[in-house]
Amino acid sequence: MAGKSQLELLVQYQDLVLMLQELRDEAVRGIGFQVENLSRLEEAIQELERALHPRYLRTFQRIAARQHRPIAPVSRDVCLGCFARQPTSYKARAWDDSELITCEQCGRILYWID
Amino acid sequence: MQNQLLLGYFREHLFVADIDADTTAGVLGQLVEPLLKNSLIKNKTIILETLQKREALGSTSIGRNIAVPHCRTLAVSEVIIVVGISPGGVDFNAPDGEPVNLFFLIVAPPQDTHNHYLPILGKIVEIVRNDDIRASLLQCGTYGEFIETLEEGLR
Ligand SMILES: [Zn+2]
Repeated sequence: MAGKSQLELLVQYQDLVLMLQELRDEAVRGIGFQVENLSRLEEAIQELERALHPRYLRTFQRIAARQHRPIAPVSRDVCLGCFARQPTSYKARAWDDSELITCEQCGRILYWID
Repeated sequence: MQNQLLLGYFREHLFVADIDADTTAGVLGQLVEPLLKNSLIKNKTIILETLQKREALGSTSIGRNIAVPHCRTLAVSEVIIVVGISPGGVDFNAPDGEPVNLFFLIVAPPQDTHNHYLPILGKIVEIVRNDDIRASLLQCGTYGEFIETLEEGLR
């Protein structure tokens, strides 16, 4: 976990939660890749839950109740969750690890990918 | 997934002809490199950790010298396929114990608007299970040979 910001940990958290959901899905299993030890993935998810600040985790879970994927990537200042344009000033604020920036239109946590 | 649609995902700058790593982590690192070089990702950390977590649940090698490492990650904004060739072969924990010479790395964002990720995964697995196409693909050393072989095989 060392060296990662809370937002990066949260991004990884969403990646792994989604991986777990898909690996439990019959349509995905049907493709034919071998999957064992799903409990290992559950443990990795729990480890991230412990590394995350409770405030960040709560925000994620609150949004997860409404949005299937609570974090949306932002590319060229556009939220890819709902395609709303974001103020340019948000990007600099997102780098600061003291707050989570959310999209005013869809409510998702924003993660700048460029 | 139509053949023509799938073929549109392959790019020369996303082709690595000389994978020379000898570990799973090393191979994934070399496959992700063109994403960084072409500014398709900001850094390699998150995507590599997610790919490694997936491999830890069971190798994405489907045997017969082929592997299809894959994941969804917030690190990318579109579905991307990177093809890698390891002339010498790599131990990738394949189910048949054979070394892997041909890699298809498939990464997709969580919000995959066209829903192409799973169809692409399924289609690639289906293609390389064809003995003739697989054998021809394994002979390729350049992007030109690779794409020509694939087009021919899908015709
Ligand atoms: Zn939004």
